[in-house]
Amino acid sequence: MTPRRAADDRRPLGDRLAAYVLIAPAAVVLVVFRLWPLLLGVDFSFTGDGDQDGTPVGFGNYSELLHDPYFRIALRNVGWLVVLLPVAVAIPGLLATFIFLKVPGHRLYRSVYFFPAVLSPVIVGSIFNLLLSYDGPLNKLLAAVGMAPVDWLGDSKTALFTVVGVHIWATFGMALVVFLAGFATLDPSLLDAARSDGASLVQLIRHVIVPGLSRTIQFVFVTTMIGLLTSMFGLLYVMTSGGPGGSTTLPEYYVWIQQGQMNRPALASAASTVLFLIMLVVGLGQIAILRRSGRED
Amino acid sequence: MKQRALWSVAVVAALALTGCGSAAGGDKTSNSGGKLVVWDWKSGDKTAANYIAKAKADFARKHPGVTVEFVNQPFDQYYTLLGTAIQSGKGPDVMMFNGGGQIRDRVNALVPLDAYVAQDRQRLAGWDAFSKDGKIYGAPVTLQGHPIYYNKSLYKQAGLDPEHPATTWDGFVKDCGTITKATKATCFALGNKEGIGIQFWLSGMGSGILSPQEYDDWIAGKRDWTSPDVKKIFDLWKQANDAGLNNKGANSTAMFTDIFSVFDAGKAADIIGLMSDIGHWKDFGDFLKPENVGVMTAPVVTAGAQPSLPYDGGIGYAVANWTKDPAVAADLVRSLTSTDALSAFYVDAGAIASDTTISTASAGPAVGTIVSELKAGKPALHVALSSKTLDLMGKLSQQILDGSVGVDDALRQLAASDKA
Amino acid sequence: MRTARLGRWVLALLMTTLALATVYPLLFTANAAMKTRREYILDRFSATTTLRGDNIANAWNSAGMAGYFVNSLIVVGGAVILLLLFGSMAGFALSHLKFRGSRTLFLGCLAGLFIPFQVIMVPLVRTMTAVGLIDTYPGLVVAYVAQFLPFTIYLMTSYYSAIPKDIVDAARLDGNSFYGVYRRIMLPIGLPALLSVGVLDALFCWNDVLIALLMMPSAEHRTLMVGVTALRGQYSSDIPTFASGVIIAAVPVLAVYLVFQRRIADAVTAGSTKG
Repeated sequence: MTPRRAADDRRPLGDRLAAYVLIAPAAVVLVVFRLWPLLLGVDFSFTGDGDQDGTPVGFGNYSELLHDPYFRIALRNVGWLVVLLPVAVAIPGLLATFIFLKVPGHRLYRSVYFFPAVLSPVIVGSIFNLLLSYDGPLNKLLAAVGMAPVDWLGDSKTALFTVVGVHIWATFGMALVVFLAGFATLDPSLLDAARSDGASLVQLIRHVIVPGLSRTIQFVFVTTMIGLLTSMFGLLYVMTSGGPGGSTTLPEYYVWIQQGQMNRPALASAASTVLFLIMLVVGLGQIAILRRSGRED
Repeated sequence: MKQRALWSVAVVAALALTGCGSAAGGDKTSNSGGKLVVWDWKSGDKTAANYIAKAKADFARKHPGVTVEFVNQPFDQYYTLLGTAIQSGKGPDVMMFNGGGQIRDRVNALVPLDAYVAQDRQRLAGWDAFSKDGKIYGAPVTLQGHPIYYNKSLYKQAGLDPEHPATTWDGFVKDCGTITKATKATCFALGNKEGIGIQFWLSGMGSGILSPQEYDDWIAGKRDWTSPDVKKIFDLWKQANDAGLNNKGANSTAMFTDIFSVFDAGKAADIIGLMSDIGHWKDFGDFLKPENVGVMTAPVVTAGAQPSLPYDGGIGYAVANWTKDPAVAADLVRSLTSTDALSAFYVDAGAIASDTTISTASAGPAVGTIVSELKAGKPALHVALSSKTLDLMGKLSQQILDGSVGVDDALRQLAASDKA
Repeated sequence: MRTARLGRWVLALLMTTLALATVYPLLFTANAAMKTRREYILDRFSATTTLRGDNIANAWNSAGMAGYFVNSLIVVGGAVILLLLFGSMAGFALSHLKFRGSRTLFLGCLAGLFIPFQVIMVPLVRTMTAVGLIDTYPGLVVAYVAQFLPFTIYLMTSYYSAIPKDIVDAARLDGNSFYGVYRRIMLPIGLPALLSVGVLDALFCWNDVLIALLMMPSAEHRTLMVGVTALRGQYSSDIPTFASGVIIAAVPVLAVYLVFQRRIADAVTAGSTKG
């Protein structure tokens, strides 16, 4: 640490200032319009709702959350999302690899895979409601091959996975874009060398692409997790309304319902603070794990 | 050292900037003098255009100097948006509410309207859904309720008398069997994806199950969740599904977008529907022809029950307490509930308006039946419950259907939630 | 060799199936937009027999969609430019200029990414009201910048981190200041990432409903997606009109994406030959 700082101090003042100047606009915006409201929001979570509006209630909202079985279901579902996360990352990663390796038709795929991302979740949800309904096309297909129908969205054992599947389907195009940009930093000579050594696809991915794209992969992991935890509201609202029996409730959906329908803004603040902490822990944990296993720089 | 100083200056400056800002926040200012802003989720509908125009004209006669701006907000985000407006004490002067829990939970931000709407009390129905603790906070625009609609042509095809549906539960179930055999249509069209199906069931069937005394007690807040009749409502909910009276996949069928079309398409003989907005006599009439849409009272399950039409105030307008001149805003609410405006809404949108003086004579048999039953009608059972209990009931109703929760357990949880 | 080639075609077949599946919803939506409400309710899947534009025309004409469209262009354009500028500046500083607190700042940025909008929703409205930015274009632009900046910085930082340090050092030896390095080296090298993150930021802002609704409550300041969402009503009964709105809103994003993904691809190829 000391030698680096010494080197740092030997630079001219202008150089040392440059970093701060470059970072200042971003820092100001983030502090004023993100950090500060966050503090206000956390503060708000320690006050009451309704008749107790504005009065401090200590950890009252948090203990109410702890005792709400549906919030606990929401937390359990977060666990499921973390388990499913690698799948949500692997799919766009593999597809981007194939496109990068110029599978026949790669130009077409590159254009078309992004399409679902431009549609409103409400429309995507409505379409899948129809496709997945009990007497809908998918179950007819199952019946045609002699399988029993599945109540995809009406069975509490399958509903969460169905919605997550649709979410992945609707958003993998965005991760694909990030992966494709990441390939720009890959050293092509490594790729050529591996190919001329007759490396198989699996070897290529394992020894060239994964190490080369470690930062991109880390980035996609983190942003995909955030997407799963904070932008499934639209789909949930339309596809399951958190049901059946609360089985597809996610913290985000819980926050929304408490804030709007239930008029419990302070409780909603507490729930979103918990959501923030979960994301912080899971996200930083991921980065630490990926960094250790990647050992990139 | 220098960087640290610089950095702290930046942080302090930023904090100071917002700090000052937030201290000044929450001031209760209103929109400029000659303008009223209205938030709702109806004024953008084609079928409401006439209604809004008439209300505006009526208001312009009374207050020529005041302009009115309607902002049609997306319903999905409406109460969230309203919540932030209420918390920052800045927002519209007049806003739309659903009757019941949604307005009662937010009366702290509203002006009591008793003094302004006294003359309208007789003419309009549905005030209770917009009142809390004896004070009125909103004026009803529509009435919302849960008639049981049936498809007369299916009854005819099955050889039943379409003008005289069964009046008892056993007779009703028997008729359903006949219809299903003859036409393959199921008995009920039920959508419970959002957990709303149970609300329709509770209110639609309740008056045929509870005794009149129990019914009135329930509405008055004395609810006995352990009574055999209340249990019967939920037992039947389960039995009807197990006996195959409902369409398949009720838990995954959406109420408003999907289930009404099952009835529209003649795939179910009966449906507990609505009176206004959607899934009502006009909607069904458009698909099945008005003369084929019947309305029946709740079949009697327990002897002594007196079936009645369950209904309350549907949507209405309220005045925010930060508005500059509540009297002017209240006048706008009165214009929005004037007979002229409401008849336009009734004709174009097929809503049962709150105004009891509007003639509905020419609109087909179903609406005639509904209107004739309004007088003897009672408030719907589910509207008396808090938002929280309704939410819980929705979840439990799904679990009852898929067998993961028993009726007794569900009732115990509901009783606990209702008490809190 | 033969099995490898066969594998490629099997793969291509699978990917084509997926491509069809990704196009289908767009076709479904366009198809629904051609139907009347009655036709839609009675049969949602069948292809429309008539090519009618009246739903789209209705959606466009209802309640000033043209104005909303312009609002969206202004706000999204402003937000994306600021996001790319601030994001690339910060990304460069965080990845290549080691300075005291850079690691803390990077982690702070990451933490910013983890703040769910719901937790700051109400306080943000209050903050915006306090600084007089509520219901103004700059207010919504700033709100978008604040919302998506952590994402943008994070992506730019990871991208720039993979650029060898020698490039910066060489440019410095040529007599460039850090600002010069940023402008002459980092911006051009970062093009694939800037284009990608720009497309994504634009998509996020364009499709956002909640932030726009809260920051711009009055009708004349509304963005396109808010207007489209308001077409849905409480019971979402008129899917054809709503679908028309969705198509109107989706077309510009698709156009932007199709134009830029070519440039992204070109930039990727250019970047990898250079690097």
